[in-house]
Amino acid sequence: MASLDNKSPQEISDLLDEYGIKHGPVVGTTKSLYVKKLKEAMAKGKKAKPSSDKTYYREEEEEVTYVYRTPSKSETSGDGGSYMRSRREWAEGEYGHDTSYSSYSSSRPEYKGRDLVDEPYMYDTPSTYSSNSYAKPMKSEPEKPKAQKSSRLIPLWLQFVFFLLLAAFLYLVFSNMEANEAIKGIV
Amino acid sequence: MSTTSQKHRNFVSEPMADKPVTALAGIGDRLGHSLTEQGYDKAYVVLGQFLLLRKDTELFCYWLKDVTAANSKQADDCAQCLKDWCDAFL
Repeated sequence: MASLDNKSPQEISDLLDEYGIKHGPVVGTTKSLYVKKLKEAMAKGKKAKPSSDKTYYREEEEEVTYVYRTPSKSETSGDGGSYMRSRREWAEGEYGHDTSYSSYSSSRPEYKGRDLVDEPYMYDTPSTYSSNSYAKPMKSEPEKPKAQKSSRLIPLWLQFVFFLLLAAFLYLVFSNMEANEAIKGIV
Repeated sequence: MSTTSQKHRNFVSEPMADKPVTALAGIGDRLGHSLTEQGYDKAYVVLGQFLLLRKDTELFCYWLKDVTAANSKQADDCAQCLKDWCDAFL
């Protein structure tokens, strides 16, 4: 790094602008002050660089974390893994409170082929990125699915189908009732 | 926000003319002597430096602490004094 003391006032002025330091004219009395300021700013190293790199790394970090977590999740794929063939299940999952589970399980259809490698999984990461936000709470409760999985006798998707049928049936019942009765029924 | 000292109020109340540097708030005998040695014998010379730094109090404090043994409070007082004077007379 070139010695700051040897730079011309114009160069120092340019450097100050680069680091976003407001300054006045670089004259005899102010030069040493600005040189010190520049050294401080360089030591910090942050100001001069655009922040776009940071956001890029943050995104990567999310993905990396996500990828890293899946090896532990794969252990718990269990019966849920064998069924989540498609997005349909993920869409259905929005009806219930088990959104996190469905997206959690939908994130691992590729995982079935775990033997092969993480490649299919990696490819799907961008498309399942939207489910990351759901997957995040999963970080704090990796144990819950494990515990619940063992207690599920009926597969998850079957429960959803059943629930939907029940909802449709109730809707039909209500729609066939007369208006007054329907309101009374609600109250 | 902070209360000003009597020295501050005295300085800001009128044009500084040829007042010595010790008339500035925050500048006592010791600092005044240090500044005079470096050529800042009058208040207006220090004012000149303040103006060169674009009336930025933070930069001025930085500079003052650099050229003298001023502490944060003294530098803040001096910078604020000059700033108020500028607001009134400049």
